[in-house]
Amino acid sequence: MADIETLGIVDEIQALVSDKLQVVSYKWLSRNFLVSSNSAKRLLQEFVEKHGSGLEVVYSLSGWLKDSPSTYHIRLVSSANLSVVATIYQSSAGYFYAEAKKEFLDDCSVQVYSVQACIPKDPVALWNSEFVQAEELFRQSLSADNCLLDNRFCGVSNPFIMRNGGGTIPSTNAVPQVKSEASGLRKSNSTAQVKPEQKKVQLPSPSASVPSSHVVDAKSESRGTSGPEEGSKFVADKHKVAQLPPAKKAVQSEKSSKNGGALANMWGRVPTKPKVDIVSAATSDAIPNPVGLYLSLFGLVIEFALCFVSFVLGYELHLTDHFLSFGTYVYLGIAAQICTPEGVEDRISDDDDQQVSIRRTSNGEGNRKRRVIFDYSDEEDEFKDAVNLASPDPPKQKSILGSKQTPSTPELEKREVKKVKEAGSKSHEQETKEAGSKSHEQETFSKKSHEQETFSKRSHEQERKPLPTSEPKSSKLHSSEIISEHASLKNAAVKDEVTNAAPTSPKRRKVMKTRIDERGREVTEVVWEGEDTEIKADSNTMKKADNNPVNSTGDRAPMAKKSPALGSTAPTNQASKAGNKKTGNKDPKQGNILSFFKKKA
Amino acid sequence: MLELRLVQGSLLKKVLESIKDLVNDANFDCSATGFSLQAMDSSHVALVALLLRSEGFEHYRCDRNISMGMNLTNMAKMLKCAGNDDIITIKADDGSDTVTFMFESPTQDKIADFEMKLMDIDSEHLGIPEAEYHAIVRMPSAEFGRICKDLSSIGDTVVISVTKEGVKFSTRGDIGTANIVCRQNTTVDKPEEATVIEMNEPVSLTFALRYLNSFTKASPLSNTVTISLSSELPVVVEYKIAEMGYVRYYLAPKIEEDEEETKP
Repeated sequence: MADIETLGIVDEIQALVSDKLQVVSYKWLSRNFLVSSNSAKRLLQEFVEKHGSGLEVVYSLSGWLKDSPSTYHIRLVSSANLSVVATIYQSSAGYFYAEAKKEFLDDCSVQVYSVQACIPKDPVALWNSEFVQAEELFRQSLSADNCLLDNRFCGVSNPFIMRNGGGTIPSTNAVPQVKSEASGLRKSNSTAQVKPEQKKVQLPSPSASVPSSHVVDAKSESRGTSGPEEGSKFVADKHKVAQLPPAKKAVQSEKSSKNGGALANMWGRVPTKPKVDIVSAATSDAIPNPVGLYLSLFGLVIEFALCFVSFVLGYELHLTDHFLSFGTYVYLGIAAQICTPEGVEDRISDDDDQQVSIRRTSNGEGNRKRRVIFDYSDEEDEFKDAVNLASPDPPKQKSILGSKQTPSTPELEKREVKKVKEAGSKSHEQETKEAGSKSHEQETFSKKSHEQETFSKRSHEQERKPLPTSEPKSSKLHSSEIISEHASLKNAAVKDEVTNAAPTSPKRRKVMKTRIDERGREVTEVVWEGEDTEIKADSNTMKKADNNPVNSTGDRAPMAKKSPALGSTAPTNQASKAGNKKTGNKDPKQGNILSFFKKKA
Repeated sequence: MLELRLVQGSLLKKVLESIKDLVNDANFDCSATGFSLQAMDSSHVALVALLLRSEGFEHYRCDRNISMGMNLTNMAKMLKCAGNDDIITIKADDGSDTVTFMFESPTQDKIADFEMKLMDIDSEHLGIPEAEYHAIVRMPSAEFGRICKDLSSIGDTVVISVTKEGVKFSTRGDIGTANIVCRQNTTVDKPEEATVIEMNEPVSLTFALRYLNSFTKASPLSNTVTISLSSELPVVVEYKIAEMGYVRYYLAPKIEEDEEETKP
């Protein structure tokens, strides 16, 4: 991945963690920014090295336990429990704080699991964001190109799941079934089903389980070709997605036969039939490990299963706040390469797998908390709430959904909708101001909804919106109603937005502008038309900030009122700057020649 | 009609070099008495006054007083095209918005005309009163230039103190302090190498070195520099132009907290 791009992502992580106070886990990062999970981990590590001070880091330790060497453990440890964070990364993995380390054998890996502003009291929060994200991905239709469904970014491959960039669904029957169930059902069920199937394949197809040396070769090959190509392929992939939408609507369950191929080269091919003898789980950057085993060999974990595992993990943390033992060899995306004693490898058997699924099932069922979250986020509006309540959106964010639309689009539109709605309901308060601008806003809105249809393949959320009622507009209004009635906080936010809307003069109107940025992504901005083009971007972000309910208190309103005048503040600043340049440059002690010599008449 | 013929063309070149760093645009005023300029730098801390008396020109014709606004950088560009030995003639017609520089080679076999656009510049002339200075130091211009250059590598400001013993330049910076004392020295072979201090009363003033450094750009014009200090007045750094006039720089002192008397 190009350095420039990763640099940008690091900045965004900063914004997410410090402004939105979000827990940024590598999984979330991987899906959100369309990078492989290994790259995501590296990015997080890089981020921790650069900006780690003042942030809390959760590491995942994985390795074999000392007291029971047959058990592979993965453990999430907060930075407080590791030794000085910096030294860990200077001295590479394997250097632990004694307490955490002493339970492991020497070889264990330390990786950054997540970065957050503080360690949440409830460990559930650790995987909250990534779970919500995973849910979004699950909800997408099967034909959608989805980084979760095609297991694109996981360091672990599954022979059942074809990794190709074109949104192709693997032709095996089993997988789509699993997916359809997964999207509809509790994951405990789906994982339970996945397991046996995987096992089935794994056993009868020894040919698919290529010797690890082979895998290493494939890895190094793919490593050689990755890098610059990778980014471009992602872009290409994204473009492809943009063209998909119509088909998606029409054929919900149809398996598209499009052959993307772009990502396939990058990731290596995963066979759909055992007779294809190329098995590779090559990630672009995996470190060849002679003993290392790819999970693909186990055929164990697919990306969405990881969510559940991590959930279980978190759950365990929550209950015992202690070490987890799955009694199994669940490799989270954590370990792309694992130091697995060869002997143990053989022991990884059906029993273990069985154990896993049972365990998971019970956990999944037993975890009430998780279920609550699940239900909560099932209501998309509530979820939106969560988004709205958060801090300003990071400057640029790739779609969670693996499509190329900016996620801000639906949110922005949503705000617009709310605004219109509020404008209507509060018009009695602000009749005079509102009168002119309201109709205008409505007009803008209708334009917007039209746009929405035009970009029919928006995000997943948008796709779903029409579901409750077939008319998108009304459903949105309804949802915003719900939101505005819900919490006082939200009301504050809405008020903010109303004040934003109120001073809208006829000359200035908000318009959505969509452009393709230099990275090939579609960027939709809400801008005040009639302002300088230079401040468009600013006003957009500032507006977002204004919409931030976190900051909105009672006294915020008058300030927000000024926000449409952003255009004028910028020039003012410039003017004052220029003014300063003439006189302000001076040392206060420096005398002025004019105080000595008088001007001639 | 204006026509000024200056045999020593390099002199005009040096004049331009000496003021163009300090002032961007300035009005050149031509009168029967001479060719003069007065301009402040953009921060109004320093003032430069140039006088080239009419007697210094081989031919001086100025029918009426005229003020020509010129961009000094552009003017310097044009004058750079003149050879050091060239004879420079400045010509301007009444009511014209251009000025012409004519360069004649000493052998008269090459004549170049450069016409430059004039500009309208709002400038205020300051009345500079004749004043008695507490201390007047005359020293080699190269020496003064060297001192300013050296001190500016240590600090930003220089304290110039004149006592009976001599003149002391001192500065203080992050890396340390520096003091340079020049004693009165009149027993030299060449009068231009003398350091002469005339002092009525001791004076000590602080100045920004960056201005002094741009003043020393006039060093080629004269072997000696005269520094006139008075506690109530800006320092005057004067470079005499032989037989023609002078370039004088006025620099407002920095106000010391414990020296209220520096401000009138």
